[in-house]
Amino acid sequence: MTYNELTRRHFETAAHAGLLTGPGTRRGAAGSRAQGTWVQFDLLIGAVQVCATPVMGANRQLAGLSNQIESSSDSRDTLCAVRFQAFGCPHVIAVADWVAQQSEGSEARPALPESVAALALRFAVPTEKLGRLLLIEDAWIAALAPPSLP
Amino acid sequence: MNRPSVYLDYAATTPVDPRVAACMAECLTREGAFGNPGSSSHDYGDAANERVEAARGQVAAAVGAAPGDIVWTSGATEANNLALFGIARYYQTQGRHLVTVRTEHKAVLDPCRELERSGWRVTYLEPDRTGLVDPARVADALRPDTVLVSVMQVNNEIGVIQDVAAIARLCAAHGGVRLHVDAAQSVGKCAVEFTRWGIDALSLSAHKAYGPKGVGALAVSRQRGVHLQALQLGGGQERGLRSGTVPTHQVVGMGAAFALAATEWRDEAPRIAQLRDRLWEGMAALGGVLRNGEADHTVAHLLNVSFADVEGESLLAAVRPFIAVSTGSACASAVREPSYVLRALGRDERLAESSLRFSLGRFSTVAEVELALTTVERAVRRLRRIGGRPP
Repeated sequence: MTYNELTRRHFETAAHAGLLTGPGTRRGAAGSRAQGTWVQFDLLIGAVQVCATPVMGANRQLAGLSNQIESSSDSRDTLCAVRFQAFGCPHVIAVADWVAQQSEGSEARPALPESVAALALRFAVPTEKLGRLLLIEDAWIAALAPPSLP
Repeated sequence: MNRPSVYLDYAATTPVDPRVAACMAECLTREGAFGNPGSSSHDYGDAANERVEAARGQVAAAVGAAPGDIVWTSGATEANNLALFGIARYYQTQGRHLVTVRTEHKAVLDPCRELERSGWRVTYLEPDRTGLVDPARVADALRPDTVLVSVMQVNNEIGVIQDVAAIARLCAAHGGVRLHVDAAQSVGKCAVEFTRWGIDALSLSAHKAYGPKGVGALAVSRQRGVHLQALQLGGGQERGLRSGTVPTHQVVGMGAAFALAATEWRDEAPRIAQLRDRLWEGMAALGGVLRNGEADHTVAHLLNVSFADVEGESLLAAVRPFIAVSTGSACASAVREPSYVLRALGRDERLAESSLRFSLGRFSTVAEVELALTTVERAVRRLRRIGGRPP
């Protein structure tokens, strides 16, 4: 299996791998390790001005930051920090890392920064693996799904 | 090509030993033995034929066969095909049943499936969880219409050594059922005694033993009166069993490689086993690491390991820039298929996929093993961290 340069770079660095904990964080996951692919996103959501807080280093725990976030369900809320965990092939890790990187600072909405088809092209993902990208999308949507009512 | 710095895939192929390459070079150019060894009408042919027959003697000696037993082929795959189809077709009036093992190489399993399509019955024996087959299981599988048993001596993925001598005795006791042994991975790694053990046909490969690619041999026991039907017709070379001009430089290379293997393997094996043990001890310390194959019955140069909580394709991608190894999955398409050998040992799909085969060799060094160990440790820890499991 060969990978394009973008895939190799994100697979090798995986700068956004990690966890977020604390108030204001959302988590969504999809897939299963037993089936070969599992992805989880942690999102720290806050109002735009709060997200101007200095950027944390890669892989750093951002639990402290969440205390500074003005939590809101307003649609203009912004993704202050995004981290992922993934058990999967290099394409899965690379795409999840890229999604996390691209999403930080953008509006929190239940859609990937690009469609699965566009991601497949960008990362030269073989057709046989497209189902794995759909799991990344599922995990992302799960993280942004509205909290269920009590 | 970005060449990885450490080659640990000697079970896939070996570099040609420079001493072997020198012998081969003597048979290529005008000044050397370039003639057609089948041309008995002039000295060029005779000179080449002399070299071919000397090589035949070297190969025979390395496996305890008589020179007249050796039939040159293009490699072990052709030798396996010739043995299975050749013996099956010659003896088919005596029965149409054969016995083999689930973990054989595809070069045996695929001909078996082809024979099944033409009406043969094949019994596929399951190895135990260590990869070994109890010879008694072979005996249990023999039937009145069994004409052939095919068992590999050294498994190419996990390195376990089957007791083919015991299996040969059982076949002999069962009315002389013919035994074919795929010994492609054996020469230079363990003892092979073709005649003494009572093997009927033995497949050999040059490039697994520091010889050239594109040449192998099938030893067919004349002493035991074994017959087979030729698959390739033409000039009647090789006792009529394998027509085609004998490639002098290739067989001379195989002869030289096997001669070296026969004299050096007993000294070489302990050094390589030490390197392999160092590799295993280091990786075992990571935790969640499983060794595939029975350690006490494995050739010295091979180590197959499964890494829990690590995805196989990512593991290979992470180590690939630094070391050249094989994985426990076949790249039949973009999506990898877990190794049928490891699955037969009871490993689940994930563990089969996340396995690496490290095969060391004549030119492996301590420094290379240390680099390999560091590479694997870092990759496993990192992927476990990304995957959300403690390193």
